Amino acid sequence: MNDEFYIGWEERAPSGIGSQVRRAVAFLLAFAVVLAVLLAVAQRTIGVSVFEWGKVKSFSGVLRSQPYPHLLVPRPGAVTGQTSFSSYYLVKPFKFGLDAGLARRLDGKSVNLKGTLIYRGNQTMIEVIGDSIQQQDNPSQLIASASTTAPVNLGEQTLIGEIVDSKCYLGVMNPGQLTPHRACAIRCISGGIPPVLLVRQTNGPALYFLLVSSDGRPVNKQVLNLVAEPVQITGEVERQGELLILRADPATYRRLAR
Amino acid sequence: MGLEYKAVRWNRQKRIYDFALVGGVGAFLVLFTVSTKVLFPFVTGEILLMRAFGAAAFILLHVVLCIGPLCRLNPKFLPLLYNRRHAGVTTGLLGLVHATLVVVTYHAGGDTNPILSVFKGSPLTGSIAGVPFQPFGFFALVILLLMAATSHDFWLANLSAPVWKSLHMLVYAAYALLVLHVAFGVLQAEVNPVYVLAVGGGLVVVLGLHIAAAFREVPTDRAPDSAAGDDGFVDACAVADILEKRARIICLSGERVAIFKYDGKVSAVSNVCQHQNGPLGEGKVLDGCITCPWHGYQYLPDTGASPPPFVEKVPTFNVRVRHGRVFVRPKPNPPGTRAEPAPVEAESRSSRLEEALTSASER
Ligand code: FES
Repeated sequence: MNDEFYIGWEERAPSGIGSQVRRAVAFLLAFAVVLAVLLAVAQRTIGVSVFEWGKVKSFSGVLRSQPYPHLLVPRPGAVTGQTSFSSYYLVKPFKFGLDAGLARRLDGKSVNLKGTLIYRGNQTMIEVIGDSIQQQDNPSQLIASASTTAPVNLGEQTLIGEIVDSKCYLGVMNPGQLTPHRACAIRCISGGIPPVLLVRQTNGPALYFLLVSSDGRPVNKQVLNLVAEPVQITGEVERQGELLILRADPATYRRLAR
Repeated sequence: MGLEYKAVRWNRQKRIYDFALVGGVGAFLVLFTVSTKVLFPFVTGEILLMRAFGAAAFILLHVVLCIGPLCRLNPKFLPLLYNRRHAGVTTGLLGLVHATLVVVTYHAGGDTNPILSVFKGSPLTGSIAGVPFQPFGFFALVILLLMAATSHDFWLANLSAPVWKSLHMLVYAAYALLVLHVAFGVLQAEVNPVYVLAVGGGLVVVLGLHIAAAFREVPTDRAPDSAAGDDGFVDACAVADILEKRARIICLSGERVAIFKYDGKVSAVSNVCQHQNGPLGEGKVLDGCITCPWHGYQYLPDTGASPPPFVEKVPTFNVRVRHGRVFVRPKPNPPGTRAEPAPVEAESRSSRLEEALTSASER
């Protein structure tokens, strides 16, 4: 050991100590740079989803309150028929779903509203601005044609997936899934955001199933403890326009061990 | 002495330290956010920042924890230790930004009080997802912020060094909580092995350095071989083992003693600096004073008192040199008590005579 001695407040360290410390600092800085890039590249949970934050648009269509509030908007240029409507889930700002009473009052009515678009894959949602929902006076043939989108039963199926809150997962947060997001998903679903079973497919796009009880009611409060984990659900699947709905008693949902 | 403390002033060394610290943290934050945004353009801003700040805090905590054992293994790293507090406070602030983003993004705007939601929001379900990883982070942050708030010398002086030191040992609890926070949080989602390896590697380095440093110190911690004589003096080490103006640290009845050799004399004082418990035995005698390697507090070797106007005092130990060996009485004298330094050079000539005199007086 040589006899270099250095006190913290001295202007300059002796050369031996100085060069050792400089090497250590250079190593740490290089390490920070490498780690920053490595950790960024290694991320696997950030998907392709969009929340058009700050961009408010107007929408017109038929409001449906069942099973969760959504808006049926006729596709431009399409003739009347089963697939001529796009379905937009309707939610409120922050972690709240659309007011159920309001949705029930306007069920089946033609409305105008303003909101911000959220989308991922084939799923679309509108974050509705305050009191912007206005009932249209002239219920055109729109309603008549929308009412033809009757549910189609696809039979009993067993599905494995993750319960996500549709709002965050579709784009308000990205990544908006799995354990780190669990508490938020629980708050959102508790606040009325439609709970969705996300089924990831190895070959093919992810599938989204709106969760309802056997008798078709919202199950927000019953699924809270099963959010953001692998679960298996067996139930009746039906198609209502563009929406897939999974009917099952939440008590029969099974948590899969991880 | 209550409110007295000596502020260590701003200087070139501190400025370089902070420059490197801010530069390193800034580089990490910018590179992480830019790379993520380029690779995954749909990432949302608040989560991007949440990840960047959380990762930066966790990594910086590793650096903070490694500096201590590194310095014990090689004193040349000591300059990294002097302003380690700046790195510690920075860690707490990075964690605070991360936590604020988490509360605002994940917990606010819902049907529950956001802070309550941090706890309520992770219901125990018996599965891994039910492990409350957010409360782990919350408590770790409380510790880090408590440490940051009391990091100034003002608190050190008011809480007294031992209390302050134990408070700041909580950093290990914070680290343990954060390892759990990360393991049961983001590692449950980000399955790329890079993350597991990074967290595991960090744990191995932190533990490994602490174990290595502890092993290094085992020999000094062991009690000297020969038992106490009639008069209680204990064989501590050979005079030749001590470098001029430097010390050997030995452990006597549970206390660490620094035995200094200087100007043909030997003196022993407590190893613990009054300022921040710095290791005086790793210091040097400068201008006739034992100088602490951490922040340069000084003590006179014979009295253990700081030269006026300073008032710090450390306990002294009575010493004696016989046949080229240093003997120390394990019982400390009250701080600031003068203990006669034992002459080294005259030792070989006079020890016989002295021994004869002692035995004569004892008769
Ligand atoms: S610990 Fe600060 S000067 Fe000794």
